[in-house]
Amino acid sequence: MAVDITLLFKASVKTVKTRNKAIGVGFDTSKDEILKKSRPKTDFSNRAKDVITNITRLKDFLLKHRKDYINAGGLISSEYSRMTDSERDQIDQDAQILIRTCSDAINHLRTEASKNALSAQTKEHQGAVLDLTEMYLKSVCKLYSEQRAIRVKRVVDKKRLSRLEPEKRNKLVDSTSPKTPVISSTEQVDEKAIQDESTDKSSTEIQDNNVALWENGKVEDELSPEEIQMFEQENQRLVSEMNSLVDEVRQIEGKVVEISRLQEIFSEKVLQQETDIDNIHQLVVGATENVKEGNEDIREVKILL
Amino acid sequence: MMAASIREKQTAALKRMLNFNSPLMKNNAAEPVWKVLIYDRFGQDIISPLLAVKELRDMGITLHLLLHSDRDAIPDVPAIYFVMPTEENIDRICQDLRSQLYESYYLNFISAISRSKLEDIASAALGANAVTQITKVFDQYLNFITLEDDMFVLCNQNKELISYHAINKPDITDTDMETIMDTIVDSLFCFLVTLGAVPILRCPRGNAAEMVAVKLDKKLRENLRDARNSLFTSDTMGTGQFSFQRPVLVLLDRNLDLATPLHHTWTYQALVHDVLDFHLNRVTMEESTGPENSPAGARPKKKNKKNYDLTAADRFWQKHKGSPFPEVAESVQQELDTYRAQEDEVKRLKSIMGLEGEDEGAISMLSDNTAKLTSAVSSLPELLEKKRLIDLHTNVATAVLEHIKTRKLDVYFEYEEKLMSKSTLDKSLLDMISDPDAGTPEDKMRLFLIYYITSQQPPSEVDMEQYRKALADAGCNLSPLNYIRQWKAFAKMAAAPANYGGSGAKAMGLFSRVMNTGSQFVMEGVKNLVLKQHNLPVTRILDNLMEMKSNPETDDYRYFDPKMLRGSESSVPRNKNPFQEAIIFVVGGGNYIEYQNLVDYVKGKPGKHVLYGCSELFNASQFLKQLSQLGQK
Repeated sequence: MAVDITLLFKASVKTVKTRNKAIGVGFDTSKDEILKKSRPKTDFSNRAKDVITNITRLKDFLLKHRKDYINAGGLISSEYSRMTDSERDQIDQDAQILIRTCSDAINHLRTEASKNALSAQTKEHQGAVLDLTEMYLKSVCKLYSEQRAIRVKRVVDKKRLSRLEPEKRNKLVDSTSPKTPVISSTEQVDEKAIQDESTDKSSTEIQDNNVALWENGKVEDELSPEEIQMFEQENQRLVSEMNSLVDEVRQIEGKVVEISRLQEIFSEKVLQQETDIDNIHQLVVGATENVKEGNEDIREVKILL
Repeated sequence: MMAASIREKQTAALKRMLNFNSPLMKNNAAEPVWKVLIYDRFGQDIISPLLAVKELRDMGITLHLLLHSDRDAIPDVPAIYFVMPTEENIDRICQDLRSQLYESYYLNFISAISRSKLEDIASAALGANAVTQITKVFDQYLNFITLEDDMFVLCNQNKELISYHAINKPDITDTDMETIMDTIVDSLFCFLVTLGAVPILRCPRGNAAEMVAVKLDKKLRENLRDARNSLFTSDTMGTGQFSFQRPVLVLLDRNLDLATPLHHTWTYQALVHDVLDFHLNRVTMEESTGPENSPAGARPKKKNKKNYDLTAADRFWQKHKGSPFPEVAESVQQELDTYRAQEDEVKRLKSIMGLEGEDEGAISMLSDNTAKLTSAVSSLPELLEKKRLIDLHTNVATAVLEHIKTRKLDVYFEYEEKLMSKSTLDKSLLDMISDPDAGTPEDKMRLFLIYYITSQQPPSEVDMEQYRKALADAGCNLSPLNYIRQWKAFAKMAAAPANYGGSGAKAMGLFSRVMNTGSQFVMEGVKNLVLKQHNLPVTRILDNLMEMKSNPETDDYRYFDPKMLRGSESSVPRNKNPFQEAIIFVVGGGNYIEYQNLVDYVKGKPGKHVLYGCSELFNASQFLKQLSQLGQK
């Protein structure tokens, strides 16, 4: 385990100072001793540090909006998305501009460094500094291209789902935003992000396919005539179906109205019959009483005889 | 905990140092901070087996330079120094301070710096107005070189100062001995600090190992008593250290076993060390040029020297460094075949993609192919790396095979195994020595010395004369023999000669063309020897001590426990339980054969860990040189 002896060192410094004072050996106590001597920073390192701060800003920017950008809230729902596509494009463009300026700055520094006639060690140091900065830029680019890849994939999936006949050849309708500057800069950034010799061939192939994706989307915005015809036919069919449905519904409506009228009549009649039945009921009650009385009278007469 | 390898611990310590002495954080895509690394040769030897240049670069180190070289001023960059606290180094650091080379200075001393030297730096800093620039000063306690996860040596520079020769020469003075012991103890102490453990010490009596043990015990004791500055507090031991077990540190003297360093070997790593130029995990070979096409009389082309680093990342090496050589040859062939199959796969994919690119292809097929392609692209660097490793091992193994064939090393190996295991010999020693086809004079000398060392009684005078004559005829230098005779006489007085254990090597018949014609490793006529596990003396002693077995050889060993309040002279261990972890350290030097033997032993004992260390690492020819120096006195 390493032991920090910095304090011990500072104590030694004090000891030496007091010892020197005692001996009488003095060092110039100019103001510089008290203030930390500010070493002149070379122009090179200042600029390199600037590039790094820029890259850091880009990274923070990307990370801040990453969640919104990716929008894991499902393919269809647009109410829940917090970022419109145009905002996404804005982010993409800004990021790309920043990446391009940073890499230009790095290349610029590199050419300058090689032109300057400095010692071999300083050259190596500057070269390594620029390599490190470039690696940092690449890692931030990776963040960006990951986001982008997710977005592209989502768009592609969306299109695939919304297609009526997915077996057709790939006409990718990209309604969002395939603009030429985006394509060329995608190529550029991809080329910078993907490194070197032996993978070049395969990487250009990937890019070709990417480009094909966007290009097809750009050119074939309209549907082919066949598709139009088919869509029309289907339209017709749907319209006639709808019409017949409407007719049937009307018929049923009429029938229902009739039924309700008839029911009204029935209920009227029934109510009328009710009064008649009441009368009859009364009469029958009276008649039974009369018959009862008659029977009693007859019985009385029978006893008299 | 010791279960983490010493290599990991030392690498972690180095990385922390390179991160301005603050702990590393897992931060992907962090801002780079650049720095310059300055080291002396000691520091270089420590760093180079552990960190490759690329890893240094990834940590932000733009330049790495030797302390004693011309260095230009780079005034806006911090500098990290990693040096030994010697007079010259301190002077050079003071000079750097005065010349205002860098923006700030982080001084790291490989072993602890003395107070007076610290004051020297302080006064130079004052004189140069640079006190505020010295940001941190650290004692790193890293004064040892780790070569494998479980193997370390003390140093590479100036190793002749603590070599077997230096320790055993007859005219050594007491002061010299003291210095040597101090150096060894300092490194061992650093090792224990980095490991984070205070072990129990065991050592035999009456030799250099005992001296080292006494001094080491004293140093550990002093450090533990000093509660304020103790390096072994619980925080330094690391979190989660619930092992109540302490390791045992067994200190042994090389004189216990002189046959093993001379032994011919059959495992890959040991062979490479024996026949090729291999140290600090780097093999240096001449590039084998094709058949000489230059016309007769033309100046021969200068052969380039190629360096190969055999690192922890090389999976083939890690897997096969302990395998017998025929197995290695086969495996290289297998790796080559798998690589070729994978290469074809990638090529096939490329052609498929080419076709598909012209048709449109549906979306699903496109994404599928893209996935295949991305996986192929990402696996390409892996494939290339694999190819590089296969080439490397093909070259190395071919070179080793050359040696084996010309010197008939398999025959020597088999014979020596028989000698060491006291089995019957099918050929007389005299025949072996006089055979002009087999082996260099050195090989013959080694064989004879092993015979001499392992025989119960020394051969009669008549026989000796015969042998001497035969050896001289074969061109051998006879001075090692003088020394060995002395040694044997002394050893006989002190203790019984070492027993080399049970069975030897079993020959599996001649190695006919087992591999198909595509193979480059035609081992015709080379015996396919299978190693049977037997324990070398060092391993046996370790087994006794770790398992607390009673054995006349080890019962008399001394026992030190630096944590006990009172040191005791007794050799009765207070701890009766077997140890789970052990460190073996051989004072006077060691080699890969012993290391491999220990590794094989540990394989059979799950849950146990053993670390192997030695004061220097030599192969047989280097050891022979030391013996002849000693024999000439």
